Amino acid sequence: MISNSLEQTKQIAHEFASTLVGGDVVFLEGDLGAGKTTFVQGILEAFGYTEPVRSPTFSIMNMYAIVNHPTIERVIHLDFYRFETPEEIRSLGLEEMMEDKKNVFLIEWPEKGLEKESGIRYTKRIKFTALGDKTREIFF
Amino acid sequence: MRILGIESSCDETAMSIVSKNDGVIVIEKSLVASQIDLHKIYGGVVPEVAAREHVSAIFPMLLELGVSRDGHEIDAIAVTAGPGLVAALRIGVELAKTLAWLWNKPLVATNHLEGHVYSVWSQTPTPAFPALCLLVSGGHTELFLMRDHGQYEPIGMTRDDAAGEAFDKVAKLLGLGYPGGPAISKMALDGNPNAIAFPRPMLESGDFDFSFSGLKTAVRVYLQSNLSLPAGRQSDLSDISNLSNIPDIAASFQQAVVDILTIKTLSAVQRFAPKSVILSGGVSANRALRESLSNELAKQFPDVTFHAPDLSLSGDNAVMIAIAGLHRAEQKDFVDPLTLQANPNMRLL
Repeated sequence: MISNSLEQTKQIAHEFASTLVGGDVVFLEGDLGAGKTTFVQGILEAFGYTEPVRSPTFSIMNMYAIVNHPTIERVIHLDFYRFETPEEIRSLGLEEMMEDKKNVFLIEWPEKGLEKESGIRYTKRIKFTALGDKTREIFF
Repeated sequence: MRILGIESSCDETAMSIVSKNDGVIVIEKSLVASQIDLHKIYGGVVPEVAAREHVSAIFPMLLELGVSRDGHEIDAIAVTAGPGLVAALRIGVELAKTLAWLWNKPLVATNHLEGHVYSVWSQTPTPAFPALCLLVSGGHTELFLMRDHGQYEPIGMTRDDAAGEAFDKVAKLLGLGYPGGPAISKMALDGNPNAIAFPRPMLESGDFDFSFSGLKTAVRVYLQSNLSLPAGRQSDLSDISNLSNIPDIAASFQQAVVDILTIKTLSAVQRFAPKSVILSGGVSANRALRESLSNELAKQFPDVTFHAPDLSLSGDNAVMIAIAGLHRAEQKDFVDPLTLQANPNMRLL
């Protein structure tokens, strides 16, 4: 799909959000400024989350409680941008959280390949490509 | 009063001993894990992992701190309870709970953001209330009003990336390495801050929120168009080496960040009429930002005092946690070591 604005990216995210179910692990791949965090903001908007949704690059993991969804109680936004080794992912203790099928994981920078050794598998995968100043290709 | 401070909210494990006697704050000890050689202390058995592995750092740090086994010289313990990464926070919180219980000492739960603000209480004169606080780091960009010790009122925050994150990511785009803040500042010294008109997002938003994601993207778009790269291919380091104006890009980007932070903060001063302005967080080390805020404040609001931490206390550390803890301890604001929980989403209230 092609997006020509931040608003359109969020609109596409709204549609994608309707396909999500508890237990999903979504990989978000794409370069800096390609629209990954905007897409996550759109997903949370679709789930009725009204507080600010910020980049997890420094915080590593942001958690959002979701109400009134049939299968999802929590969205966990992760960013592996600053990680160098699989041990760093393991130190987060994600296994336990992933066993809880009411959680949905949205993971930025999985293309670093660190998650494979950590046993994290995706259920859905999205690729973002910047085609121009505001134009983005969103593929899933 | 002598207080033990413990910080483990994200990347850094840090411990400190800070005392206050007759109103004077003295930093007795300050340790940050990334600055000490754990191998030397631990005999080479520490796995080769990042500072995020807080658990391997705590006992070497306690030993290095020289605190006695029964803690008799310590009057209280302060620990960062949030916000941060839950797995990291827990290590400091569980250590603090254990020590407080074993030593039978009062325990104070400190907010990490509050800690950054209190970093300026290590120097004199201390800020007068109400104080307007601008906290800028890799993970945070927030404006809040501090009406008194421990009383905070949020005014604005970033809606996407923090300012420090923008510095790091733009440094990466420009091939300047990590951490990005110092790398960009250094490069910017040789550049013209007015060379490229990068956007100043949110200046017209009518509130005190920030947004830095678009500015990062503007730098990427600038590189893309100046390198005439095909759509969809992002510049790499060999492309960047063809650019002759990296110092101008760094200086113009830095100026955009400094302008946004300065203009928003000054308009908050206008609106909330504080007696002081406190700049804190890792990005407070940025000289251009310090100078811009301090100069504009002196020019527009000469009665409002400006406070920024010593450079050694601008990043994450445990001195700031101990100082914030001292003020809470003076108000007998203690928590129960049996029930305290790390709170990754802890708010400033």
